[in-house]
Amino acid sequence: MFGARRVLRKSRLVPALFVLTSGCASIPPSVSDLPDAAQTVELEATPFYPQERYQCGPAALTTVLVASGAAVTLDDIVKKVYLPGRQGSLQFELLAAARTEGRLPYPVDGTLSTIWQELEAGRPVLVLQNLGVSAIPRWHYAVVVGIDTENDEVVLRSGTDERRVTPTRAFLHTWRRGGYWGLVALKPGELPAAVDRARYFEAVAALEEAGRAEAATAAWGAALSQWPGDTVALFGLANANLALRNFAAAEDAYRTLLDRDSSLLAARNNLALALAEQGEFDAALQEISVALSENRDAAVDKELRDTEATIRRRKAIAD
Amino acid sequence: MFSFKARGALMRLISVSIICMGFAQVAPAGVIGTAYMLDEESRVASLSRIEVLLAREDVGKQLEAFGVDRATVVERLNGLSSAELLELEGQIESQVAGGDILAVIGIVFVVLLILELVGVTDIFKSI
Repeated sequence: MFGARRVLRKSRLVPALFVLTSGCASIPPSVSDLPDAAQTVELEATPFYPQERYQCGPAALTTVLVASGAAVTLDDIVKKVYLPGRQGSLQFELLAAARTEGRLPYPVDGTLSTIWQELEAGRPVLVLQNLGVSAIPRWHYAVVVGIDTENDEVVLRSGTDERRVTPTRAFLHTWRRGGYWGLVALKPGELPAAVDRARYFEAVAALEEAGRAEAATAAWGAALSQWPGDTVALFGLANANLALRNFAAAEDAYRTLLDRDSSLLAARNNLALALAEQGEFDAALQEISVALSENRDAAVDKELRDTEATIRRRKAIAD
Repeated sequence: MFSFKARGALMRLISVSIICMGFAQVAPAGVIGTAYMLDEESRVASLSRIEVLLAREDVGKQLEAFGVDRATVVERLNGLSSAELLELEGQIESQVAGGDILAVIGIVFVVLLILELVGVTDIFKSI
């Protein structure tokens, strides 16, 4: 893997920190406005896990996972995400735990309208709130299960309250201090209600990095139904097939991509690996040499040479 | 000391048991992940947004005033990693929340920022 991604993620934290330190700004209409036709919605069947003081992270995550049909218990999740020393859980640990339960955690875009749309689609939304002030934060994870449009209220599973009703304004202020962070747990193959291509693709790529190839297959399939023929989604599906050892299917998909655009060196690199896995070492080395002759990027060059060395080793063992 | 074959068999056994545990699947070593293509995509998008900025006439005049060739700047931009490009964009954007950035913070500043970040201003220091 190339290293740029980690840096990218880090740089995305900066705006979130800015939000946290920016004092008592007001809530912009883009965050608080709901569609004109929005009706009251509440997912009453959402399970409830009253939590001990510091375990709101595991409880909130278990709530959205079980609501999405995952067979998981609060104890399982506590073991995965709760850090006694820190008396809390980190956002990325919640994301990682959701993936290990076979769900696709999709960060929502930080608007009330998106929460409403997800609720309408039957999915409760896990949110990070800061119940303190910016200077003395008191972080809290809760799950939005309803929006009452008549009384302007938000309904949450929160702490030991099965049904905490909060005025929308007050909720939005605590959510703003939490960086408007929230997620839904998608079943692989489900698309979020308000889907953003880049955000969805990044979520699925993270699923792939976590080694959940079967879930990634379904998620890329859904992406292709939304964006037919999308290059990144096709590449992702091929990579998932490669990880699942469906080498012929992976090979076909890489070839389709290369027929369309022969400069996709990542596809050529992976095609070579798919060929090598099928024992076609000479064809594999041929693809790598084409890629090496076309490449002008030093980082990619190293990857390609590593691949070449791997294939040569495998070939030597097979001979 | 394992023989090569024995070690291979052990590795296969381990990978088979990992697969059977039903947890993470192990892709062959050397696979370039989908995240790479996503990075590439955002890199191309960042580049084109910054290049649109550089192609503006007023920006061009300012570059000229600094004695910097636009082609040099574009070349430097192409040399940046996607993370650096995103950082550059973020720096420009963080100066303004919406609106026309050139109108808000001024051409000179944007040009200086770009020059600084792509490293052209080192040329000034060395003169």
